[in-house]
Amino acid sequence: MKQNAQGTSDPTPFDRVLTMFKKTPESIVGFFVVVLFILTGIIVTIFDLLGIRVTPYNPIQQNVGVALSGPSWDHLFGCDFLGRDVFSRVIASVPNDVAVSFSVVFVAIIVGALLGSLAGFKGGLLDELLMRFTDVIFSLPVLVIAMVIAVALGPGLTHMMIAMIVIWWPPYARMARGESLRVAHQNFIEAAKFAGQRTLGILFKHVLPNISITMLVYATLDVGTVILVYAGLSYLGLSVRPPLPDLGEMISNSQDYLITAPWLPIIPGIVIAVIVIGFSVLGDGIRDALEAR
Amino acid sequence: MNIATYILRRGIFAIFVLLSVMTITFVLSHSLGGDPIYSWLGKAAGLHPQLAAAYAAKYHLNDPVYVQYYYYLVNLSQGNLGYSPSRNFVPVAQVISQTLPYTLQIAFFAIMMTLIVGILLGVTSARYNHTSIDNGIRAAYMAGYGSPPFFVGLVLLIIFTYHFGLLPSGGAFDPNLTPPTWITGIPMIDSLLEGNFQYFGSAIIHVILPSLALAICFFGIVTRVLRSSMLEVMHANYIRTARAKGLDEGTIFYKHGLRHALIPIVSLSSLIVTWIITGTIFVENIFSYPGMGRYVVQALNGQDYPGILGTTIVYAIVIVASNLAADILYAVVDPQVRLG
Repeated sequence: MKQNAQGTSDPTPFDRVLTMFKKTPESIVGFFVVVLFILTGIIVTIFDLLGIRVTPYNPIQQNVGVALSGPSWDHLFGCDFLGRDVFSRVIASVPNDVAVSFSVVFVAIIVGALLGSLAGFKGGLLDELLMRFTDVIFSLPVLVIAMVIAVALGPGLTHMMIAMIVIWWPPYARMARGESLRVAHQNFIEAAKFAGQRTLGILFKHVLPNISITMLVYATLDVGTVILVYAGLSYLGLSVRPPLPDLGEMISNSQDYLITAPWLPIIPGIVIAVIVIGFSVLGDGIRDALEAR
Repeated sequence: MNIATYILRRGIFAIFVLLSVMTITFVLSHSLGGDPIYSWLGKAAGLHPQLAAAYAAKYHLNDPVYVQYYYYLVNLSQGNLGYSPSRNFVPVAQVISQTLPYTLQIAFFAIMMTLIVGILLGVTSARYNHTSIDNGIRAAYMAGYGSPPFFVGLVLLIIFTYHFGLLPSGGAFDPNLTPPTWITGIPMIDSLLEGNFQYFGSAIIHVILPSLALAICFFGIVTRVLRSSMLEVMHANYIRTARAKGLDEGTIFYKHGLRHALIPIVSLSSLIVTWIITGTIFVENIFSYPGMGRYVVQALNGQDYPGILGTTIVYAIVIVASNLAADILYAVVDPQVRLG
């Protein structure tokens, strides 16, 4: 265990998580939702690649006999208008959300951290140019870009990922710039400069590690937003092609059955909401725990 | 920086954003996407080669890219957005001029409701900080924030229309009523100007659910920000002075505290406006409201490229213009902004 300046030992990550759970009990719920979400995504993907089905039914198998039947022990969430098992479809669509949310946020962190810290660290004209560029991208409405990309490249999961990646990084760049401005004039950076280290070296070794915590908290909250926006794109039919399942798509193709089978749109809607709330509760918890230090 | 310079700067920036939207649309539709003739004419391009050739000549498609870009911008600035295959080849600009007013109606009511609900709940949860009321409000805005607008819309539809039969399931007005004549272009305002109160009432009833759905999704950010800014303001020195003067806590809270705590809300307005205008696309489709969002989904389903690109640009214009308005409002309310 490392000793810090006060001579007391630094809390391990495990201790920190425990403190967070004690301070904000609801973050326990968020933590488990997030873990369940990620695990489901990974397990379904791996078994899918191995050709083993983990869902109780084949998510695209139609069975007109049970079409629009309500929730039961055989079909936990009921069946849709083609008799496909809704529970299996929900499980099978989790990997899409895991893939989209993590890749969009991941690329946003990388691009944002590099551009932002470079702008803050170098300053001057480069800073001005990079930040005005960031402002412009930040002002582009995501749905607008997604629709144009759907026209140019056609709908699809990867195309929507691209659309979101293109415009998702500006908040991270602003954050990274602010943080790197803050650390840029501290003694250890000055020392590194005098020692003759190159800019990129200083960025990677000293500046980026210092801004990572703030960005990670924001990223946790941000994953939920990505999932929400992606659900919207999928609802508009811009993502996966039928008959493949996706949460947003499941809501849009069942909205004609509100009277006969209201659970069909409600269940995927609740699943989206639970995931998003899980991430945001967890993000709040992490932030509160860090602020308390 | 004085306010005029500030507005000028924001205005130039807004034009920059619009130009980049148009450039991105151009790049994606003309170079990456392959055949622009196909994207303008759809299937008709293959059936009528001479028509395709005429189009290629008309839109300078055989010229270098920068010449094409020039003509593309000229066409846009003249309001020439092409013809819409999904609407019987009516000009896209005409469809948009018929549908945009309805979108603006929903957006207006949704913004109003978001602010009213958000501010009321924000003030309440700051007043009853750390009580069960505060926790209840937090749970409510979490649930609203986590739910996509189309889901909230469907739930409202199930509850208020199919279960209680209180509100209409869709449309912008009762089809038995005569719509007002065109004065300003926005049906609600026109009906008021004409004294057609029956239509106005029906239009209000039809706009409640779609705008409520958006308000439920987006009031949370207002509540959250107002709550924390309210709690912060209540520790300020001038509040202590007011307490020392012996004013009662209610007066201090609502008259002295709230006024200052509202300033951060203004800075949120451009964010809220963007979310709500994007959100109208979803609720218009749930409630078959005849706005631009309904048109864009029709266009997406019918592979109506001129329709999609045209609405895309109009959405961008609406969002950029309202963000500009919000920025100016913020600068008027909070002089500190102009310094930055």
